[in-house]
Amino acid sequence: MSEEKKEHKKEEFEPKIVGFLCNWCSYAGADLAGTSRIQYPPNVRIIRVMCSGSVDSMYILRALLEGADGVFVGGCHPGDCHYIDGNYKARRRTVLLENILGTLGLEKERVWLRWISASEGQKFADTMKEMTEAIRKLGPNPIAKHWNL
Amino acid sequence: MMHKVIKVKDNDIVESTNNFLRQLLSSGKLQVLLAPQNTPSKKVAFPVLISDPKKLRADIIAPILPASTATIVSKMTKVQPPSKPIGVVMRSCQIRALIELVKLNQASLTNIVIIGVDCLGTFPINTYTEFPEKKTPTEFLLEAWKKKSEEAEKYLRSACHACKDPIPTNADIILGLYGADLEKEIIVEAHSELGKSILKEVLLEDEQEGKGRDKTVKEIRDEKDKKRAAFLREREKIKGIEKISEFFDKCVNCHNCRQACPICYCKECLFDSSVFDAEAYKFLRRAEIKGLFKMPNDALLFQLGRMNHMILSCVECGLCEQACPNTIPLMDVFIPVAENAQKEFDYHPGKDASEKIPMIVYREDEFLEVGEK
Repeated sequence: MSEEKKEHKKEEFEPKIVGFLCNWCSYAGADLAGTSRIQYPPNVRIIRVMCSGSVDSMYILRALLEGADGVFVGGCHPGDCHYIDGNYKARRRTVLLENILGTLGLEKERVWLRWISASEGQKFADTMKEMTEAIRKLGPNPIAKHWNL
Repeated sequence: MMHKVIKVKDNDIVESTNNFLRQLLSSGKLQVLLAPQNTPSKKVAFPVLISDPKKLRADIIAPILPASTATIVSKMTKVQPPSKPIGVVMRSCQIRALIELVKLNQASLTNIVIIGVDCLGTFPINTYTEFPEKKTPTEFLLEAWKKKSEEAEKYLRSACHACKDPIPTNADIILGLYGADLEKEIIVEAHSELGKSILKEVLLEDEQEGKGRDKTVKEIRDEKDKKRAAFLREREKIKGIEKISEFFDKCVNCHNCRQACPICYCKECLFDSSVFDAEAYKFLRRAEIKGLFKMPNDALLFQLGRMNHMILSCVECGLCEQACPNTIPLMDVFIPVAENAQKEFDYHPGKDASEKIPMIVYREDEFLEVGEK
């Protein structure tokens, strides 16, 4: 019974995703998905930030070390940044973070950067579906069980 | 480039270089000189600002780096650079750090004459003070080098084991040990107009033909590359959260590494800021999420966060490791991370002061796959 229960639990693993969405594009895109009543998995916990370029890697690392299964950063499409070039800087920062996580053998696949505009409610919903499934496949974040960090 | 030599008198390399430095200081071209000099106890050599040539007893070979020379130059030039040239004796890693600080607007090269010294390596500060051999650390190191023996290797700091390049670049004047017949002479090269004009004031002998410094420098660099590659290979096993959390287990989050780091210049570090202040219930909730929660908290977050902030400019001087009160071998992680991250951005810290640090610039047509998968 307990084995069965465990099996059942594994199937039911629901990833916890922290999403940093830029105020001008991706957050509005998420809002549009909501107001358009487009269904998407409720796994993402959205934090509105002014710009994807304002998300210091520290916040992404903190979410991962605290046990988030995935971290999503959403910004305006290249060229569309409200602050001209914040998303280009976010892109460089993501490259750096992924490179560091790669060297240290920590799962960089848990960090996603995507461009979603204010008009792309459907893309936001699709991306959330895609990411939730990808993280579900990866399984729970192994860091979550480490309390000695 | 101007080539000269300092004649070594009485087999005393250190005193011969000191004669040269005294001449520099007496020439009137340099107002003061920042050079490593042993403290009266002779237990440690610190960078000392010397204005009186008679009091100059420097030891530019002393295998010790108690603090970042680049940070000291930053302190002296950040508010207002000197109005007349001052000379600073530096190792290659510290010159690289200084160039990075210039890019970060934390130092100025105005009226700074960089006197780069070929580095034979440095020992940890405590090894230097409690040196177990009969000779002084400097004598021991020089003799080992002259004999081409590896007996000094065991004392070297790990940063020196994996050193990228012990030969100074971006120096105005280079004091060359590599490729010189140290029984007889030390090579002096001027690499800038300023360096040339200063060297003209000093009585030096012209370099004879065929000294082969270039050849030796190439050999040394090749050898260092090999050692570094081996160092990196050995560290490949430190991977995964189990290994990484174990690696940083002794970290007490004291931030000493950051304090010693020449690149970490921020007046208020993010990790000291109110971002980390929280109400009691937030601590309790974190304990509840995992069931238990180590205090002081966020040591690994600090390490990885700091790494993200400074690694592209990391010059691998190893001062972080030397500053760690709990002797965490930080270079084992920082050197591989720096190697890969700097490669990703094709960035070479310390190479060119006119280059911009990668995190403040971008190109529209780069990393196109990121964000568009």
